[in-house]
Amino acid sequence: MDTGNNPSENKLLAGSDDYLWDRSGEPDPEIQKLEAMLGKLQSNRPRPLLSGKAFVSKWSFFQRNRLVPVFASVLAIAAIGFVTYTVRGKKTAPIKIAGWDVSWMAGTPRVGPSIITGKEGGRLGVGQTLETDPHSRATLRADEIGQIEVDSSTRLRLLTMGSGLKRIALDRGTIRTYIWASPGEFVVDTPSATTVDLGCAYTLQVDDSGAGTVRTSMGWVGFTLNGREAFIPAGAACATRPNVGPGTPYFEDASDKFREALAKFDFEKSTPQERAQELAKILGEARKRDALTLWHLLARVDPGQRRLVYDRLRKLSPPPRNTTMEGILSLDRTMLDLWWNQLGFDDISIWRHWERTWAASPAPAPQK
Amino acid sequence: MRIASKPAENVSFAQRMGRNLVKDETTAQVSDDAMLVGAACDGDRAAFGRLYDRYARMVHGVLLARVPRPDVDDLVQDVFLLALRRLPTLRQPESFGAWLATIARNLANDFHRRSVPENQWSQETADSLDGKNTEKDHDYQAIEILETIKNLPDAYRETLILRLVEGMTGPEIAARTGMTAGSVRVNLHRGMQQLRAKLNLNTGSRAAEEETS
Repeated sequence: MDTGNNPSENKLLAGSDDYLWDRSGEPDPEIQKLEAMLGKLQSNRPRPLLSGKAFVSKWSFFQRNRLVPVFASVLAIAAIGFVTYTVRGKKTAPIKIAGWDVSWMAGTPRVGPSIITGKEGGRLGVGQTLETDPHSRATLRADEIGQIEVDSSTRLRLLTMGSGLKRIALDRGTIRTYIWASPGEFVVDTPSATTVDLGCAYTLQVDDSGAGTVRTSMGWVGFTLNGREAFIPAGAACATRPNVGPGTPYFEDASDKFREALAKFDFEKSTPQERAQELAKILGEARKRDALTLWHLLARVDPGQRRLVYDRLRKLSPPPRNTTMEGILSLDRTMLDLWWNQLGFDDISIWRHWERTWAASPAPAPQK
Repeated sequence: MRIASKPAENVSFAQRMGRNLVKDETTAQVSDDAMLVGAACDGDRAAFGRLYDRYARMVHGVLLARVPRPDVDDLVQDVFLLALRRLPTLRQPESFGAWLATIARNLANDFHRRSVPENQWSQETADSLDGKNTEKDHDYQAIEILETIKNLPDAYRETLILRLVEGMTGPEIAARTGMTAGSVRVNLHRGMQQLRAKLNLNTGSRAAEEETS
């Protein structure tokens, strides 16, 4: 947003618009009139109370995501649970192991050998597995982390519940997550990539071959495997394949031609000429918001093709002033990060912070 | 970092924000952003409350330049909620303002990605025109001018809204958003020229034409 910083123009301005600048100098009646009129549009909402702030914020998030019915259902279930508990009389609270509360949604979801019922619910502890068959569904909830809807035909394992890192392995199936833990704290391992929550809500799907797809509906999500990274903001999706890792993220409203070319470019075995043809289609079809895809492609294309991507991306979203073409083409991370931040999706420093934390975290448990 | 719950009644926002309150008003007043950010990171929610007070107008203005007015207040709260969660990731506490402005701009982008397009003008007008007749006329004019500003280029509309709606001075805008004073001054000047031209104010038309030519 730092534009027009022209020293000579500034010298000319000094004295000529002092009232506009800092209300010194002779008042300008037109500006005074605008100030009086537009000042009425200032926020008149009183300073928020903290608990109210948290409530309103989450409430407005749910409203905007049309999840009000879900939220209302959760409240209703909580109210029924509270009344039932009160009527039955006070009982000694059970000692809870670290983990997630499991609620029955349909069928016969299982934690290990135990079937979860609607009456009692259950608990998924560290090292345990939750499995649903084609007719079963369940919900996981942890107050400090968030909520996960577990779809049918899904198998997931709870790996860790540390104070800084909560980690789950999704072996197959579909989960829908609504996370309110701090960015980077909630991580899901899949057979072909690791998903890192950097925002609020996303859907993750893994098929029997281990291939996966993440779709972000709020905030943004990081996908990583062996140094190959993808950042997926709200409205975007990204596929991942075993032994390859994350593909290139794309907005789901991109053209069919764009998405087909991207899928071939990412995952099909092809000759250099065929890859060049797919890249040409991608660049030709790219819209302004597809800068998301092109930014990722900078690091994924052959060095000889990188200039093509740079030129197209530069037209869609000019690079920041403190970057150079040479730096970008040599994949200078600082410059790439600056450009990413300018694209307006989110601040990449959150991801870099997570990377440093991740580097110090233990390796995932082997798949059982 | 989660928000505390179960607040007591009649306790200020700053007090409700944490365990370790900033007790010395005088010391706090001379504290700079970096100190407040550091204190907030250490769990001093009162320090975060002071940052809220200091930056709420800026965040409101940045959002008002980008999203429909009825949604701005909710989004202001979302920005501070996100900032509170992400504060530990802020590597340069002295850049808190620029960082916060970026969060606000990104949240506005998110808002547009999520939203179904709607007739914003009619909704805003309907929401606003609920006072007396003279106030209605005045508000109508104000909203009309706001819409004109929102059609200016990005840099101009944000700076002008911070100056004319939020009542911040140029030096304040620079200090809060992290922009250079020179850029803010030029943005204000050029933005005002374009606004005058669009509103057909006499003094600005000629100047805007000069700039265009």
